[in-house]
Amino acid sequence: MSMTIDARTDTDAAGTAAPPAGTRRFRVFRYKRGDERPHYETFEVPVGYRTTVFEALRWIQVHRDRTLALRHSCLHASCGTCGVRVNGKEALACVTMVHDVGREITVEPIANVPVLTDLVVDMREVFERFPDDHPIVRGSEFLDDADTPEGIASYERYEDCIECGLCVSACPVVVTAERYVGPAALAWGERVLEEPRGAEVANLLSWANAPDGVWRCHAIFECTAACPSGVNPAARIMSLRGTLLGRRLRKQPRGSDPT
Amino acid sequence: MALVVLITVHMVAHHFVVQGTGGLRSYRQVLEYVANPAIFTIELLFLVAVTVHAMLGLRGVLFDLATGERAREWISRALVVLGVVTVAYGVALIVALASRA
Amino acid sequence: MSDAIDERRSRGPVQRKGLGPRPVGWLDPRGRTLGHLAFVANRITGLGLVFYLYLHLAVLSLLLPGGEAWNDFLELATTTVFLLLDVLLLFGLLYHGLNGLRVTLVGTGYVPNRQKALWWAGAVIGTLVLALAAIRILGES
Repeated sequence: MSMTIDARTDTDAAGTAAPPAGTRRFRVFRYKRGDERPHYETFEVPVGYRTTVFEALRWIQVHRDRTLALRHSCLHASCGTCGVRVNGKEALACVTMVHDVGREITVEPIANVPVLTDLVVDMREVFERFPDDHPIVRGSEFLDDADTPEGIASYERYEDCIECGLCVSACPVVVTAERYVGPAALAWGERVLEEPRGAEVANLLSWANAPDGVWRCHAIFECTAACPSGVNPAARIMSLRGTLLGRRLRKQPRGSDPT
Repeated sequence: MALVVLITVHMVAHHFVVQGTGGLRSYRQVLEYVANPAIFTIELLFLVAVTVHAMLGLRGVLFDLATGERAREWISRALVVLGVVTVAYGVALIVALASRA
Repeated sequence: MSDAIDERRSRGPVQRKGLGPRPVGWLDPRGRTLGHLAFVANRITGLGLVFYLYLHLAVLSLLLPGGEAWNDFLELATTTVFLLLDVLLLFGLLYHGLNGLRVTLVGTGYVPNRQKALWWAGAVIGTLVLALAAIRILGES
């Protein structure tokens, strides 16, 4: 399969042909099993007006180095698979425009998670932080009473969280406190409390109330800034803390039914 | 919240009320100041509030670094001891000064 | 969870943000948002104030032997350098106090989405108070 980024066919918003954007220097994190330490490799990548970081990485993979490992799936910011750090900031590669980043672009895997190879990390580190009895994947809701246009039978609502791990990468507390449950899992816990949908939630508050739960959060808000999906994990963690404080002040026992 | 009020009172009363001596009290003025029962009480409350807050703050910083339950138990115990010693010293100091006025 | 943590190091190298060893990884402000900078400043001023607490108790202990030691201290305490340090102390107190109020409001779930606005409000109030106090403090020297 040949893959080219054809700058000449790019058009701007007005529909007129935009001039080619030239090349960008990509500095890409590289690591393979058995390497003593990671290193960076530099590539000059031709980019167009709307080239994304993911497309540039794929160009490198196709035209320069077949061994570059990266993950992707949906290519439209709904699966969370392509999470990376671009010039130090967490981002989904599939929707991050090279044009918006700069001339020198450093791409690294997300932080605080073991690197398997190149830009691919071991996402178990993120998923294992979630409460055992409340997995992130649960039945979506059919909105039977929602007004639907002709041809649409019903709406099905999914959770905002796409389990990309960008919040875990951005969180400075995860750097120092390795056992901190983290923003993704705590935000999910609050979401389950907000809308249990029949789940047993009695032990969820005790899980959140641990020293490595909500009380490790220092209200830094890097997670909310990094989230590409509008989950606002920091606000959800604060809401959980408010709930726990309120229960403590009313002297309710921990782990009792919060509803 | 209480700490914010207490520290404001403490700073204003000590450093922005006294005329002369660069806003600081002389030896005699300090003794007379702490001998006042209301001031004595406020300063004691301030000492306790500041020490509790300081110990809790240190606990927060150290708990980030210590990941084991045993280590955290030791940290908590050590900070309780440090806090008690700090308050005890402060109380002894203020009582000693107040009694000399 | 603890098994996962113990096992993670065998899965692969863990990249993290921040310079230096892991325990001070939070200190590096590069590429961070306002919330992080606020936290770093809060922690630094907090640790500074803990140090000052004990320094203050030590200085007040100068009152115990009698008036002479205290009066010697007062001479030092009214020098310009010392007064500048006092202004620095006041900055630490104001920052930690006002940011602390912000963290209290935000951290208990009241206004988490106003955390930036609260920081700026505190910054304006703190700057005004510090400026007025600094004029008063340094004006006395």
